[in-house]
Amino acid sequence: MKLKSLALAAAAAAAGAAALTTPAPAQAQAKEQFFPLLVYRTGPYAPNGTPWANGKLDYLKMVIARDGGIGGVKVAYEECETGYATDKGVECYERLKGKTNTFFDPQSTGITFALTDKAPGDKMPLMTLGYGLSASQDGYVFKWNFPYMGSYWTGADILIQHIGKKEGGLAKLKGKKITLVYHDSPFGKEPIPLLQERAKMHGFDLQLIPVTAPGVEQKAAWLQVRQSRPDYVLLWGWGVMNSTALKEAQATGYRATRCTACGGRAPSPTSRTSATAPRATTRSPSTRPGRASRSSRTS
Amino acid sequence: MLYRENGQFKTSYRADQAVFPIAQDRVAIAVLLVLAAVVVPLAAPEYLFRAILIPFLILSLAALGLNILVGYCGQISLGTGAFMAVGAYVAYNFQARIDGMPLIASLLLGGLGATVVGVLFGIPSLRIKGLYLAVATLAAQFFVDWAALRLKWVTNDSPSGSVGVAQLQLLGMPIESPVAKYLFCLGFVLVFALLAKNLVRGAVGREWMAIRDMDVAAAVIGIRPVYAKLSAFAVSSFIVGVAGALWGFIHLGTWEPAAFNIDRSFQLLFMVIIGGLGSIMGAFFGAAFIVVLPIVLDSLPYWFGIPIDTALASHLTYMIFGALIVFFLIVEPHGLARLWSIGKEKLRLWPFPH
Repeated sequence: MKLKSLALAAAAAAAGAAALTTPAPAQAQAKEQFFPLLVYRTGPYAPNGTPWANGKLDYLKMVIARDGGIGGVKVAYEECETGYATDKGVECYERLKGKTNTFFDPQSTGITFALTDKAPGDKMPLMTLGYGLSASQDGYVFKWNFPYMGSYWTGADILIQHIGKKEGGLAKLKGKKITLVYHDSPFGKEPIPLLQERAKMHGFDLQLIPVTAPGVEQKAAWLQVRQSRPDYVLLWGWGVMNSTALKEAQATGYRATRCTACGGRAPSPTSRTSATAPRATTRSPSTRPGRASRSSRTS
Repeated sequence: MLYRENGQFKTSYRADQAVFPIAQDRVAIAVLLVLAAVVVPLAAPEYLFRAILIPFLILSLAALGLNILVGYCGQISLGTGAFMAVGAYVAYNFQARIDGMPLIASLLLGGLGATVVGVLFGIPSLRIKGLYLAVATLAAQFFVDWAALRLKWVTNDSPSGSVGVAQLQLLGMPIESPVAKYLFCLGFVLVFALLAKNLVRGAVGREWMAIRDMDVAAAVIGIRPVYAKLSAFAVSSFIVGVAGALWGFIHLGTWEPAAFNIDRSFQLLFMVIIGGLGSIMGAFFGAAFIVVLPIVLDSLPYWFGIPIDTALASHLTYMIFGALIVFFLIVEPHGLARLWSIGKEKLRLWPFPH
């Protein structure tokens, strides 16, 4: 787990290093590279936020201790606690943006949405590692968003392809029943357009079951799942929602073996990486993710 | 010595009924206005605008609206966040669906939308009081949260349920820079504060206060409870709705339903209680206390160069903040506005108290 969050942090730092060398020449001459760290170590999502924040922090500390910086440039950082709240995150962004022109990694879909409007004005790159605004893959429209390692659309697409492989081909999905149990927030709703498009393409039946944020109350959702008896359940949760979901699923007698694709959005950043890494994409139009995500974007 | 009204004779009813009858107050307010409208925009850094001043102004507007309902009319409400949300989403729908909609018009229409919803949820106040009314207004909160999440047309079919506005303009001038946004909000707050002050001084305000102090007695002397209570709900939710629209449009830019959740309702209620129930000034004190203090507490370790874990700092902020609220409520249950007026009373006699 530690290794994988380090890998995530490594990707973040590598991306940061790339930003260091390429876009703004003024940065290269700066004596110090400042990394703003928006973290959430408090609130209902702290179980996810704390290890993620620790991983990034540990990696930066390691780079400083081992190399004394990146390519001879000193590294500085400061954490700002967002508590996963959008208004607090915007405050943190305003507080730290004066100190840096490196990049911001908001670590929250809601904060990313709010900052997407502000970033072009400040000429501030927003890097979202496997989360954020899926539509921002279109770099022609979203010039300052850099969704690395795929987006929610990529993640959902991988899940459908995985199910297709299990069934022996995407064509076999016809008539199957797939249920999405999702966190009722922009984060949880992001994959829906893609899944709907996929459902149209392959003729499977998509059922949407929202779970009110933060997701501690799910009995009704799982009773609904049991009632409709889907072939697959995609669980799109975050923080406390995932552990609750597993307990509730068990309590309502839903057999975990049928929940093949459980953990679409898994409880820790580690499995997030593993879910999205195989199809890591960049913003360049030629290497966009799966077919379905493209078709849903144009639709 | 400086703050003394000796020799200031009122020779007309007009002078006697002025908003600020004491000359020193008028000077102080004029200085404050110049400071807020001229000096601050020239001198303040961007962070101050975006992170402190703009949220402070918008939330004081919302607290002002809530104070009319809770402080002046005595109808407790836990649905403030919902009324803000209605304001924001109605304004958003007008702005997004009608091409070339003037910004101020959509903000005011947002306020009108909130008025309708506010009056609707105010109807139970004719039968139920106190804690029970609070629970009824809580229903407004849950209903609006639900509507914003589930009804597609509310968010203009946004797939993620998050909506945003961009390129706001006022008479061809872009409202993009923090200074422009600040001045825009300041204008709204000043106009609404003046309106509210005059409303609560007038006949309507007196009706509200009579209902607050004892509704049966008020009804006996000829005040219609239906009219008084519903007008308080209407005025209050109009102001709160405009504040909500400003919060979405000017402060956040892009928002999700969680921006106006139950926490926002509680936050505003705390502002009104800490600032001072039944006081226009109190809304500003309360907003300043609740907006600025956590940020200051959060930043203190950095200012003094004490390396402290952010989680610890954030937990400490909660604890100190909570302790301060308890302290203030014990020392002065009538809020910061009451402390302020005690200070003014003392200043009148200073330096020779009898």
